[in-house]
Amino acid sequence: MDRLWWHFQQLLKIDAMNLVILVIVVLIGWTIISETIPNPARYLPSPLAVSLSSVDMLVKGLLPSYYSDTLVRLIIGSSIGLAAGIPFGLLLGLNKTVADMFHPMMNFFQSVSGIAIFPIVVIWWGNSDTTVLAVILYTSFFPIAFNVLSGVREIPIRYVNAARTMGASRYQIMKDVLFPGAMPHIATGSRLSIGFAWRAVIAGEMLAGRQGLGWMIFTGQDADRTAEVILGMVMIGLTWIILDHYLLRPIEADTIERWGLVQR
Amino acid sequence: MDDGGREVARARHCCNEIIITGAAMNSMTPKLVVEGLTHYYPDEYTGESVHALEDINLELYEGELVSVVGPSGCGKSTLLNILAGLLPYKIGTASVDGNVIHGPGPDRGVVFQEHAILPWRTVAKNIGHGLEIRRVPQAEREKRVQEFIDLVGLTGFEDKFPHELSGGMKQRCQVARTLCSDPVVMLMDEPFAAVDAQTRITLQEELNRIAMATHKTILFITHSVEEAAFLADRCLVFSARPGRLKEIVKIDIPREQRNWTNMNDNAIFISARDRILASVREEVSIAVEE
Ligand SMILES: Nc1ncnc2c1ncn2[C@@H]1O[C@H](COP(=O)(O)OP(=O)(O)OP(=O)(O)O)[C@@H](O)[C@H]1O
Ligand SMILES: [Mg+2]
Repeated sequence: MDRLWWHFQQLLKIDAMNLVILVIVVLIGWTIISETIPNPARYLPSPLAVSLSSVDMLVKGLLPSYYSDTLVRLIIGSSIGLAAGIPFGLLLGLNKTVADMFHPMMNFFQSVSGIAIFPIVVIWWGNSDTTVLAVILYTSFFPIAFNVLSGVREIPIRYVNAARTMGASRYQIMKDVLFPGAMPHIATGSRLSIGFAWRAVIAGEMLAGRQGLGWMIFTGQDADRTAEVILGMVMIGLTWIILDHYLLRPIEADTIERWGLVQR
Repeated sequence: MDDGGREVARARHCCNEIIITGAAMNSMTPKLVVEGLTHYYPDEYTGESVHALEDINLELYEGELVSVVGPSGCGKSTLLNILAGLLPYKIGTASVDGNVIHGPGPDRGVVFQEHAILPWRTVAKNIGHGLEIRRVPQAEREKRVQEFIDLVGLTGFEDKFPHELSGGMKQRCQVARTLCSDPVVMLMDEPFAAVDAQTRITLQEELNRIAMATHKTILFITHSVEEAAFLADRCLVFSARPGRLKEIVKIDIPREQRNWTNMNDNAIFISARDRILASVREEVSIAVEE
């Protein structure tokens, strides 16, 4: 346990150093480009201009409101998507015939991306919050459900048989064998799901929303406030990195790496 | 023990009428009974079926360790899977303690060839899994788990995960898990086939010690004639496919005397081993000719 913690800290240190260097290089490059092109305020505002605009948005309270809107949508949407998708995949996986039957269908739906279903959802519910939420749910549900189903199919049958010979019920098999056994796929699936949901939130807010970071980027472009557009983009990327590093990675380290299901 | 009762039970059994009338007779009532068991595997592609087992009859008595040897593909694993309840059968009957086998159940514990301990559970949690499934209270569970961890020599490894164990330790863990559920019959399918020769010898001696200590009824499938003769009270030799019970070799050596330093000089062991070996060889040559 101590050793694990030590590794974790080392990882943080190296990551942090690399990140700082990378950020500085990007900022310098960005500043140089923006200083040399004509009309930078329209085409590529400098980091300083973006920071000033973010201070301005902060003071006005717009940024926190947009940001929290987007985050709440993401959290609600992908939580429901995961909470429904994981048990769905496990249940399908319980029975081999059912699993084989559903596999191609799930594969079909997970490949039709969120953006591609947007038009049809807009036809159903117009430019509303319902539309945005529906697209988030769709995009987060299928990747996780499909991955869990694939994961369950790959669990060696002898693990299930071992539990059966000890008298395990179907529910106990699901809880003690299928769920942990599918954990590597649940991890990848969750990452995909949340990643897709994140894109869907932004796209949804641009196309059908009235609020949020997507909306901020969209109106920024409309009103020629390029600094706001870039600010929105930076916020999107940063949020994802933080989410990945402080939520998804530790969950993986605590489960599949500890159980020796993946080597790192 | 009441010898008169035994005799009566034995006599009754000979006439194929096993009636349990009192506790005294329990010890001579077989724990596991297989009668007329025949099995075909259907082949979905060719439509032909594979005839795996033919008219198997056998009985396992309490505290007995019976080994099964036979050429590869003669249906040993098929028999074990049927007894474990993992493979449905149509012809013949199999029962444990008088209950006909219809599916898996905690009255039969299985040790698989490839270790089947769960990678996401620690050694202790794996061993206690059967008790957990049966909702045995935690305090009692932990006590029993520790007892079996000590019995199989895994003390100090309670909190390790399977990927941190050697192959031999994984098999010890599997044996402990099965014992911990306290099944009526323990079914083992080539449990030591995947470990190195040195570890295998140790594991055989350990299983002998465990059989002595727990007095479990064990059906032990193996490829190794030496192993079968070393461990078994009776060794069943199967014919080439379809598997029939060809011969039963008795090995009357007290468990206390069974260890690898003595056995190679033990006349009973040597004659039993050679007998089994000759019998299996015959079948293997038949299997090869086919
Ligand atoms: N699921 C199955 N479907 C069809 N045929 C099978 C199946 N399992 C086993 N068989 C066939 O049944 C026969 C007996 O197989 P089984 O696995 O019981 O043999 P075995 O005695 O355990 O062999 P080994 O010593 O090599 O483990 C073999 O010919 C095998 O090909
Ligand atoms: Mg076999």
